Amino acid sequence: MDTIIIDGLSFALPLFIMAIGGIYSEKSGITNLALEGFQGFGAFIGALSAVLIAHATGTDIQNLFYVSLLFAMIGGMAFSVIHAVLSIKFKADQVISGVVINILALALTTFLTTQINAIVFGAASDKFRLGVSERFTIEGLANIPVIGAVFTNVYPFEVIIIVIAFFAWYLLYKTKFGMRLRASGENPHSVDAAGVNVSKIRFSAVLISGLLSGLGGICFAYSISANFSSNIYMGYGFLAIAALIFGNWRILPTLAACLLFGFAKSGGAFIAQSMALPSSFTDLFMILPYVLTLLLLIFFSKSNRAPRALGEIYDKGKR
Amino acid sequence: MSKDKKIKSLRYNLIRPMSNEKWQPISIPIVSILISFIAAAIVILLIGKNPLQAFYNLFQGAGILPKPSYAGYKSMLTDFLSLLNAMTPLVFASLAVAVAFKAGLFNIGVSGQMLVSGFLATIVVGYSGLDAIIAKPLVLVIGMVAGGLMGGLVGWLKYKFNINEVVSTIMLNYIAQYVISFFIQMYYIDPVSRQSKYISEAARLTLVNVEIANLKMDIPLGFILAIIIAILLKFVMDKTVVGFEIKAVGSNRNAAKYAGINVGRNTVLAMVISGGLAGLAGVTYYLGYFSSIQPKVLSSIGFDSIAVSLLGNSHPIGVIFSSFLISIIDQGSTYMSSQAGIRQEISSVIIGLILLFSACGAYLKHKVSRLKEKEVDQKESES
Repeated sequence: MDTIIIDGLSFALPLFIMAIGGIYSEKSGITNLALEGFQGFGAFIGALSAVLIAHATGTDIQNLFYVSLLFAMIGGMAFSVIHAVLSIKFKADQVISGVVINILALALTTFLTTQINAIVFGAASDKFRLGVSERFTIEGLANIPVIGAVFTNVYPFEVIIIVIAFFAWYLLYKTKFGMRLRASGENPHSVDAAGVNVSKIRFSAVLISGLLSGLGGICFAYSISANFSSNIYMGYGFLAIAALIFGNWRILPTLAACLLFGFAKSGGAFIAQSMALPSSFTDLFMILPYVLTLLLLIFFSKSNRAPRALGEIYDKGKR
Repeated sequence: MSKDKKIKSLRYNLIRPMSNEKWQPISIPIVSILISFIAAAIVILLIGKNPLQAFYNLFQGAGILPKPSYAGYKSMLTDFLSLLNAMTPLVFASLAVAVAFKAGLFNIGVSGQMLVSGFLATIVVGYSGLDAIIAKPLVLVIGMVAGGLMGGLVGWLKYKFNINEVVSTIMLNYIAQYVISFFIQMYYIDPVSRQSKYISEAARLTLVNVEIANLKMDIPLGFILAIIIAILLKFVMDKTVVGFEIKAVGSNRNAAKYAGINVGRNTVLAMVISGGLAGLAGVTYYLGYFSSIQPKVLSSIGFDSIAVSLLGNSHPIGVIFSSFLISIIDQGSTYMSSQAGIRQEISSVIIGLILLFSACGAYLKHKVSRLKEKEVDQKESES
């Protein structure tokens, strides 16, 4: 039971922070299928900086966790500039731009990883080894039955994500910037009429989504995969998109969707393990989160409504 | 001539070929391809290699240009045929994306639809020992039906329950991937290759190692079908009621509804066609290009095809050309990396760049028309 909660949370929270990024972008009216590329590129920059600094100074890569976290956020944000420029300045189709960015991120990071490994470390490797970040347990709280598992074996990034998520919630729903951002996705012309630059709002929204996706990506790299390689492109970004659509473009329901994913995933793995079935049966239990989502969507998506101006190129002169 | 004027005339000469609106669907992709090759050349220069030689090797490897020497039973023709072999599933997959696109739908699930149809065709026909004359058409039919049903399911979920097709296709991709991996590992695994058991030659859509005129070549039968279907699709989309209705739904759902077009039916229909094409991509991939299925892996073709279809303007004939280009870069990369000493991964970077620049096509178009307007204004003010 405890492992379901522990593993579920460590999967759900990085997903959640990526989904929040997606909400920011989509609420401002920019369709964002590029989350997958952002998280991969962010994780790449984070891992690269950790590996390089460790190589230059000789420190243990474990101690550089927070440094790489920071660089991953910067990296994700830098890469998201492409999506912002393409879909806001160049008026490209946002869906297409997103897909192209995913393809480019995979190609670029795979190429650069092998190239840098060969040049700097003289090794023929297609990954940066990171290891798993250290975990901590809050004594006392961890002894509470059931809920105690939430405080057991926590990755430090989970705390960071919760803090950032709370801040993101506040920014989106309680500030002037957040209100304008949400209005840009519903009725950009009224925002413009109020004297606010729609393009600027949207640009910053996309950058925020890149930043948060980069954070999500490096968290996966430091936990599940323990390294950076092209395996980071497992479809986490798409899963985050599914979660945010499932959550009807609102932060709290999206958290619920992400937790559902996380617990269904770890629950499935737990059932398969405890029933001592052959390993190929785990595949059958792996579909649990996806089937559950589809079934729930059948009941809940009637009321689902995307932001009104989502995916539309903002044209000032249009009536 | 002042510097300012020089720049102006240079700009004019660069832009003029693109200013004819009739040719823009062709000229803009070509310009994007040129820009991306220049960008790729800069990348290759930075690594310290000769870009021209690299590109030349790329075309040699793909069988477009002759190599200096060939191994026994090989020639430029065999290379070219294996290029077509690799290209066939990509053409089908891109057509699948293009059809859905025309209906305003976004089929991310091509990989999943490919896997399901490829798997069903493999277990029903691939292991059956049927004669080639029955087996090959049966493979195609199973592929089309399985893919079509899966696509139709997505369309139906969208129309009936308002489930966004992006989400449902992503979910179905994962479900297909895990369920099929389970069945392969339980019942059809080949212990040596760790993949599904190889299918019978009779069921395979590519004739392998056919000896003609002292050459051993792979003949992709599916390629001919891909060309026929692309032309057929162009006809259906441009000349028939079905095509018109699908395009009407795609460009404005509400307007189509008020015009008396059944939006739900056309949504499902477009997804059935799209899924059917994805199914054909699946069988030409798993029972043509390959002859077995690797468990737990979705082919990247499903995602590449989205971009390839964009590069071809979602136009059936354009898609053939864009798949051709992308396949050349993909296929030639092995030879390029062995000859020029450049990492093979650069080929996907080049592809990424081409797609990136072609995504800017709308901006180029906008810029060109702006410059034209300016020119007209200037002439008017001068006169």
